[in-house]
Amino acid sequence: MILFFRRIWAFLARDWRLELSYRMQFFLRVLSILIVVTTLFFISKIFTGFADPRFSQWRDPLAAWLTGLAVLNYFMTGFSSLANAIRQEQVQGTLESVLMTPISVPTVIVASSAWDFVQATFFSSLYLFFGWLFFDVHYRGSFLLALMFLVLTTVVLSCLGILSASFAMVFKRGDPFGIFLGTGSALFSGVFFPTQLINQYAGSGVASISRALPPTYGLDGIRRVLIEGQSLRDVQQPLIMLLIFLIVLLPFSLWVFGRAVRKAKREGSLIQY
Amino acid sequence: MTLEAKSAAISVDHLSKTYPVSFLRLKKLLRRKFKPPVEALRNISFTINEGEIFGLIGQNGAGKTTLTKIIATLVQPTTGNVTVKGHDTVKDDQRVRRNVGLSGAEERSFYWRLTTEQNLLFFARLHGFSGRAAKSRISELFELLELQELATRRFAELSTGNKQRLSVARAMLAQPPVLLLDEPTRSLDPIAAARMRSTIKSLAQANNATIFLTSHNLNEVEELCDRVAIISKGEIRALDTPRNLRAAHTEEERVTIVFGGLGLADSEQALARSFRPELFVFEPSSRADETSVKFVRDDHDQLLDRVLRTLQQSGALIKSVESEKATLLDVLERYEEADND
Repeated sequence: MILFFRRIWAFLARDWRLELSYRMQFFLRVLSILIVVTTLFFISKIFTGFADPRFSQWRDPLAAWLTGLAVLNYFMTGFSSLANAIRQEQVQGTLESVLMTPISVPTVIVASSAWDFVQATFFSSLYLFFGWLFFDVHYRGSFLLALMFLVLTTVVLSCLGILSASFAMVFKRGDPFGIFLGTGSALFSGVFFPTQLINQYAGSGVASISRALPPTYGLDGIRRVLIEGQSLRDVQQPLIMLLIFLIVLLPFSLWVFGRAVRKAKREGSLIQY
Repeated sequence: MTLEAKSAAISVDHLSKTYPVSFLRLKKLLRRKFKPPVEALRNISFTINEGEIFGLIGQNGAGKTTLTKIIATLVQPTTGNVTVKGHDTVKDDQRVRRNVGLSGAEERSFYWRLTTEQNLLFFARLHGFSGRAAKSRISELFELLELQELATRRFAELSTGNKQRLSVARAMLAQPPVLLLDEPTRSLDPIAAARMRSTIKSLAQANNATIFLTSHNLNEVEELCDRVAIISKGEIRALDTPRNLRAAHTEEERVTIVFGGLGLADSEQALARSFRPELFVFEPSSRADETSVKFVRDDHDQLLDRVLRTLQQSGALIKSVESEKATLLDVLERYEEADND
């Protein structure tokens, strides 16, 4: 276990140093988040007093958007960083030398995406922090329970990320999961508007897409806790759905990943991109 | 386990590798054109003993890199198996990697925006070193490979030769008992190359490290290696000591004798009395008062001694005798010619 954490630390230290060599990028990203939050604040003012009472999470649209964006940013990291980690090492040409150390491929993937999670935690928090600091957005409920939803949804999305990494390992480029989840989550998971509207305007068939996406449940759970102040008992439904996703996806994604690694080693294409 | 197996650092047993065609069934179904599978290695077997420096030579595309990568666990064999220190490279790959250090010829295998020390620190931690132990080991290696002054330089700023030395340093980080060195002196200046060769020799002698070395520098292979394998079109065509390989190729040597005190015509006459004249080629030497005679002799015959006596008895003063045996290049070329025929 010490070895595992030492390796995680090695990747974190490496990526921190690489990040330091590109300082400007960091400041520009902080600035862009501030600009997005400010823009959303002004847009939210259009809707003041017009919120539909059916959509209790959307009484303050700014709070709903900020939690949506913060959580989406984190979820997308959980999903995409694993495949990106492999792809980046392949493109840089460093994957072979990393794999020559006594470290398993799954550890390489987990460890090399660790920095992405650190960054995502920081930048996601910035959405909430700027909302609280500059625009008087208040959150209530248990942060611990919200964190549990965040972690659980991220793990579920990481399973899809493992499938995506398997895809990158075999096909190198072109990732169907990325297209499905990346565009799908923003549209169907309720990041910018209540998912009930999909049912109302596009019918139950289209609304079922929303129900098939894990971020929908994660986001719903987090908003219920942070915006509506609901307790563990109130959020059992999205919690159970996320657990079902986890039970199905975790073993399946690990099995697919093992097969992808074996195929790449047989074809000698592990380091190709 | 047999005695031989115990002392074997690397054992390659009926190893074949064919790179398969990706999605062959799908391509056949869609009637898409596909290149035939590439047969990179064919039924290779050999053993490398502990503490041995083993060289692998062959043309580009002969199978050297595939063999090295299979030993390094980066590529899986199609049939046969490879063991390193008794561990199978497929079933027990992590244990194999604990015992192996690979120094490749690929410059992109480092992080260009990190310093040399930061690069090695990262890889040392992946090997399980604590921060303090890693720094101490890195400082030892910097001293050994004379990289101290480059510790704080970014990898991108290093010369090609220094990048190569850093790659060797990385391979040696965890003091593995087996080192795989792919062209270790490539891009090094002659002095640095000589130092690297001396380091490689001392690693094998002092640390009993086993070294598997591929190189295009045949003089280097001859100087360093206890045994050499010649690989061509995926097959090991010959495997022996450099001396035996040369001897198996030809036992002839080319001799050049430079002498003074006897003119070109007189020396021709003197030798023609005792030997067949077509054996010799006479040339005036670069100095006006000297002549050179060239001939080919067998390793075990008395021709050299007899020629020297004849010349001396005719009044010649011997200035120098040079003999040139077949090199590994001659041996390699012979196998390549045979393959191309």
